[in-house]
Parts: sequence; structure tokens; C-alpha cells
Amino acid sequence: MSDIALEVSHLTKNFRLHSEKTNSIKQLIAARGRNRFAEFTALDDVSFTVHEGEVFGVIGQNGSGKSTLLKCMAGILQPNSGWVKVHKRMSALLELGAGFHPELSGRDNIFLNAAILGMGRREIAARFDEIVEFSGLESFIDAPVKTYSSGMYVRLAFAVAINVDPRLLIVDEILAVGDVTFQQRCLEKFVEFRNDGRTIVLVTHDLGSVKNMCDRAIWLTHGKITGEGDPSDLVEAYTEMMLGNRNRDVDGRVRRGSGELQISSVELFVGDNPEPVKRFRTSDSIRLRLNYQATKPVPKPIFGFEIQSLGGATVTAPCTRDVGLIPEMVSGEGHIDIEMDSVGLLPGTYDIHTTVTDFNRQHEYDNVHLALRFDVMSGKPYETGALVTMRPQWTIS
Amino acid sequence: MAHRNLLYLLSLKELRTRYKKSVLGWAWSLLNPLSQMLIFTVIFKYVFKQNPLPGDPSGLRNFPLYFLAGLLPYNFFAITVGVSMGAVQGGASLIKKVQFPHEHLVFSVVIAQFVTLMIELAILTAALLLAGSMVLPWLPVMLAVMCMLALFTTGVALVLAAANVFYHDVNYLWSIVSQLLFYATPIIYFPQAISLRPLVLLANYGPTGSFITAAHNIMYDHRVPSAGRLLELVVLGFGMFFIGVWVFNRLSPKFAEEM
Ligand SMILES: Nc1ncnc2c1ncn2[C@@H]1O[C@H](COP(=O)(O)OP(=O)(O)OP(=O)(O)O)[C@@H](O)[C@H]1O
Ligand SMILES: [Mg+2]
Repeated sequence: MSDIALEVSHLTKNFRLHSEKTNSIKQLIAARGRNRFAEFTALDDVSFTVHEGEVFGVIGQNGSGKSTLLKCMAGILQPNSGWVKVHKRMSALLELGAGFHPELSGRDNIFLNAAILGMGRREIAARFDEIVEFSGLESFIDAPVKTYSSGMYVRLAFAVAINVDPRLLIVDEILAVGDVTFQQRCLEKFVEFRNDGRTIVLVTHDLGSVKNMCDRAIWLTHGKITGEGDPSDLVEAYTEMMLGNRNRDVDGRVRRGSGELQISSVELFVGDNPEPVKRFRTSDSIRLRLNYQATKPVPKPIFGFEIQSLGGATVTAPCTRDVGLIPEMVSGEGHIDIEMDSVGLLPGTYDIHTTVTDFNRQHEYDNVHLALRFDVMSGKPYETGALVTMRPQWTIS
Repeated sequence: MAHRNLLYLLSLKELRTRYKKSVLGWAWSLLNPLSQMLIFTVIFKYVFKQNPLPGDPSGLRNFPLYFLAGLLPYNFFAITVGVSMGAVQGGASLIKKVQFPHEHLVFSVVIAQFVTLMIELAILTAALLLAGSMVLPWLPVMLAVMCMLALFTTGVALVLAAANVFYHDVNYLWSIVSQLLFYATPIIYFPQAISLRPLVLLANYGPTGSFITAAHNIMYDHRVPSAGRLLELVVLGFGMFFIGVWVFNRLSPKFAEEM
């Protein structure tokens, strides 16, 4: 068994609820006598061990205590009970970057930040160029960091944090704000770290990278560990749980258009199942049904829909005119079925928007934003990184 | 000391960013006491029609110089404490994101303000020499007294800056208290010339009064303060410093959560 890099034992952290915080003497006096601290348990008896050379993931929904856990590890928050033991030189990069001084330039902040992380002046000077290079912010390095975008901010923070040569790196949600180039660099750096036998503790909502990168993971729910072990199983269980909740959501719709002809609902069917569903797996064959309603006869309408990822990328946007399907006249009620064989969408959440226009696509009869939201769960093939699969057949020779 | 480099960089930052975006820059730190000197000299001389008492044994009779000898150390004290509270509050983004010795936020302010004080005192020395008063042999004593003042100031700043994280009232309270202290300290008057008993006691033996009286002894009267006085300053300096460190260390682990 390899060395232990980090131990967390029976860690419990309570916060006073914000409304109960007393930041003025008057409140303090007013609060005397009655039960002063309504407490909220952000971490509840959390224990685990991270071994040297592991990439350790922490997943859980918003507010489940991930950042709080990392802050306790980094020594920024004091636990109410339990303890954390860090056995290696640690560098922690918390939500939206390390602490920077907004008025100071990027250059000064590199020095300040590295000094905070315990580096001497000569050591920093020696690594300065490397840090700047990694951040890719050469031309902004003398501007105050308050003028940086959040992505630039994180780049700089990450560049500093990994260049102090930590044996244990703790990162919270940095992949979320960086652009693709930077995310790629981070991932490369993580791999390099792992190959060096260093340890990484990673909090992220990017479940794909948890599956790919991590050797082990824990899943937090309301401050408690609900699962620990193999990242793939854990991510699977976690997504099922999260998406299970979704069906109960009432989705708010935004509708535009003149309204003579409207899409009243959109249904999604998988395979031969006659029941409409809201999720399927990669490579399932699906059928979309657009139910329409016309208050008066409408000549030559064009029906269309658009599938968009949560990130806003349009995956596909076909319409009936593309295939020359143009009914002379539509009236009353009816539906349009769209069959799609073995859909190559990769796991994630997608939205369907629908449109009904006149033949020239100028006049809009109806436009429903968010007509249906559905989830794709992992199926075959499994792929990460984008939205659709081309079903690649790999050979290496 | 761990994080020595951090302390150096923070102090440098404190000095460098202070007068950023101002045309006159550092001149402001001199213009401020000079304008105060002008105002109070006019009030002293023409409104209240007072005459400055002579320095004993220097024989110096000069209100502006007497005023500056007291004002500069007092300003150091009052400004450092005020700025320290802001520095800890303003360091929230650091405190919430990284682990480091929070007291360095206060220490760096003290260091930067002390540098300013030294420059100001050097200018005062030049003015004294121009006025024909040979102050040079007394400067080492002055430096020692200022070091005690710095320790005392650090202690007060640590306590108040820590308390201010939890109760912002401290900040507002301080702006009132520092004003009251200004008048309870012999800066714009000669304690020998007043008869209000409590004020005389406060001026002579109150903490700030003690430091300022010692500064007058050295810079205006040109004599070493009495042994009792010096002992008092050492006790005040070290005592307050250790109280400050103790209080700050007890409170600082809770900063991140409070901010
Ligand atoms: N300083 C604080 N004072 C009071 N409550 C806090 C404080 N910091 C965090 N909390 C609470 O603790 C809970 C856990 O927060 P935490 O930031 O750890 O969640 P998270 O798992 O990181 O969520 P996310 O995925 O959104 O980043 C939240 O309910 C939050 O409101
Ligand atoms: Mg978080």
C-alpha cells in the first residue's frame, strides 16, 4: 500500500445560519438570552483517506459541502470536530481561483500568491516565466487583476498553484470557467501529476472528467458521504439520482408567434415503448411526436425543431421544408412524428425548441422555447468531450 | 519566521499602492501633517492667543515644531490602527481562499506606516536643525521610543482589526475614539499649562499621552525621559503587543467563516 497523502477523520462543520450572524453589537445584545445559534451542518462526520499517487474525486449537488470540505483540508475553515491531516506539501486552489489582490497587477499577484503558498523570493523569480507562460497571459501580466475575466483569473491562479511544486494538489471547480485550450492544459497537467506519483483531490461537476481521471471518488449529499469507491459506478448512481428528480419539475415555457397553429406538446418515445419518456441512452432509437393544434386552417406550414445542449450549442435543427414535406393545408388537431435511428447524442441534458412558420420561414405561427428537456445517459459507444458521437472504429497499427 | 517573503511583499504593496492614481503621490503624506500644523498654529496663536512654553533644557520656543513632534507619532498610531482594520477586512478575498498567517496583514501596515513615520521624523529633524536646535544626539532615544510605540500600536491594531471582523461597529467606534484621544493627548497644548485635573492625568499617564510626552521630552526639550517613563513605555509596548498577538491568534481561525 502506498503512503497516505491526506487523512480526514470524522470531520464535522457547522455554520451559523446567515440571518443569525451578528455583525453589530446591537444585534449581539438583542440576540442575548434566546438561543443564539441556529446551526446548519455543512459536513457531517466525514471520514476518508487519500493515498499518494491517487486522483481523488468529490462529487455532489450544489450545496452538498464539497467546497467546505476542501476549505477544511486547506486549513481555511476550522472544523467543529474531527481532524484533517495533510502529509505532503499541499497547494489548494479553491472556487474561482486563489485569493488575489484586485488592485495589484498579475505580476505582483503571482509573487504575493506564491509567497502565501510558502515560496521564497528567489524560487518565485526562477519560476516566474514558467508561470506566466502556462497562464498564457503574457500581455496582461501588468494589468491589475480586477480587470481580468473570470477565466483569466482562474488561469493565473492555476498556473501559480501547480508551479509551487505541490505533492498534493486540491482543486475546486476550475475546469468550469476556463476555455477549451485551458481545460486541455489542465487535464494534461493533471495527467502529468498523476504520472509523477503526486496526489490530486478534485471537485468538479464535470462528471466525464471524474470518470476519466479519478481513481477513486466520494459522493456527498447534504454533508454526508453517500458513496465511496469506483468513480464510474458512483457517477452512474449520482446521475440516475439527480435525473430521477427531474421528471417532477414543472417546466416553464416561453412561447412566441401569432398562434393560429401551435405545438401543444412534444413527446419522446424510445424504441417500441408506448409510454413517453424524458431520457434515453446513447444509440437508442427514438421517436419525437409534435402535437399540433390549429384554430383555423393554415396553408403550407413548416414545422421545425431544434436540439440544443445545456451549454447552448445547437446539435441539430431540421425542418419539414428540408425534406420537402409541405402539407397544402393544416387544420384541427394532429401530430407529426419524427423517427430517429440510433441517436448519437452523448450523455448530458438537452432541450428541444419547436417552431411553426409559413413557407418562407418569415412569419412565425408558433415558437416554443424549451418545449421539452431530456437527458441522455451513457450507452454504447461511450465517449467524452463533445455532444455527438461519430461511432469511430479505432485501429492502431 | 515562516512567510517572511510574504510580509515583505505585503509591506511593499502597502507602500506602493497607497498613493496610486494620485498626482502628488507621496507628497500627500507630508502635506497632511503640514496643513494640520498650519491650522493648529493659527488657532493656538491667534484664536486662543497662547504662547508656546520653552523647551527645558533646549530653550526652544516654537509651537509648530512642538506640535509636529507630538502629531507625527500620534498620527502613526491612529492611522495604523485604522488602516489595519481595513487591511484585514480588505484581505477577505485572500483569507477566504488561502491559508496564511493573517497577522501579516496587520504587520505589513505597521511596517509601511513606520517607514512613513521615519521619513516624516527625518524632515522634522531637518526643520529642528534649521531652527537652530541641535537634536541629533537624541535621535537614538527617539528611535527606541518609536519602536515601543510601534509595538504598542501593533497590539492595539491586532485587537481591533480582529474584533472588527466580527463587529463592524469597532471601525466606527474607532474613528470617534481616535478623535477623542487626539485631544486627550498633549499635541495641541502644553500639559503644564492646563488645570483640568483629569485631562492632565490622562495627558501625562494615558497610554498615548505617555508616548507623546516622551517624544516631546526628546525632540522639543532635548532630554532623555525619566527612567520611570521609559519603563512604562517598555511595559506598554511589550504588554500590548502580546495581548494583541494572543487575542488575534484566538480569533483569526474564525475569520474565513465570518467574512
Ligand atoms: N461561511 C458560510 N456561512 C454559512 N453557511 C455557509 C458558509 N459557507 C458555506 N455555507 C453553506 O454550506 C453549505 C455547503 O456549501 P459548499 O460551498 O460546501 O457547497 P458545494 O458542495 O461546494 O456546492 P457547489 O457545487 O455549488 O460548489 C451550503 O448550504 C452553504 O450555504
Ligand atoms: Mg463549491
